[in-house]
Amino acid sequence: MSEVQRRKYSQEEKNTIFDGEFMPHIDSMYNFAYRLTFDEDDAKDLVQDTYLKAYRFINSFEQGTNAKAWLFRILKNSFINEYRKKSKQPAKVDYQEVETYYNSDDVDYQSTTDLRAESVKGMLGDEISNALNSLAVDFRTVIILCDLEGFTYEEMAKILDIPIGTVRSRLHRARNLLKDKLRGYAHHMGYDTDEEEEI
Amino acid sequence: MDMNEETSQSRKLKCDDTSKCFQLLESILDGEMDNSKEVLKEKLAKCQPCFEHFHLEQAIRDVLKTRCTKQEVPTELADCIRQKIQDIK
Ligand SMILES: [Zn+2]
Repeated sequence: MSEVQRRKYSQEEKNTIFDGEFMPHIDSMYNFAYRLTFDEDDAKDLVQDTYLKAYRFINSFEQGTNAKAWLFRILKNSFINEYRKKSKQPAKVDYQEVETYYNSDDVDYQSTTDLRAESVKGMLGDEISNALNSLAVDFRTVIILCDLEGFTYEEMAKILDIPIGTVRSRLHRARNLLKDKLRGYAHHMGYDTDEEEEI
Repeated sequence: MDMNEETSQSRKLKCDDTSKCFQLLESILDGEMDNSKEVLKEKLAKCQPCFEHFHLEQAIRDVLKTRCTKQEVPTELADCIRQKIQDIK
């Protein structure tokens, strides 16, 4: 995804690319934007800005390649450069939570012993959404890209400008944090947990 | 699918390296591993923590994919964008 302008599309070609390859992703783009900003107007602005940028830089997009990843990368960069600062609900990064969590060797083991697949299957969409939304933005982002949008690690590496190894480890951390939140819900809702059955 | 009961007595109860195993299982679930079938079969047959982790992770991916509330896209957004593009053409 180099920024070098390698082509010169005609007006007609531009329209074809924009309508045929860019616009079909508007739903995914809006959902991503909303999960980053938690605000309808900010999400709309972010998507709109992304499409305007995409049009302005359309000559650096190679027709027929991965338009969705290309657009997501622009959106994510716009969010970092412009919206993160003025966002009405600034991304809450709980560093202490993250640090203490990873200083424990047992963390992976604990994850499985007291949260059951069955409990998760019984949860409502809102509970899942809330758990996801409560994660710090970097962790939230990798889960959205991977699980909601189905990007590969390689695509995510390009969208986020980080090495694949970092994608993998960040996802792993994100999933542990998400399980923590889900475990909280499970206990709160009185869903089955393993503890009682181990006797 | 009730696979928890079956053959669980033949699995070891402590995983040798949860961190490594779980990341591997997650990569498999994400479709990022070649020849994952054999590795997976072996892990799930032999290790109880791996077995549980796999099914938990699978369940989480399922609910994320199918149940995570989608935000309705404002109807005027696409038109808005097209109008703005017209203006800069
Ligand atoms: Zn294991």
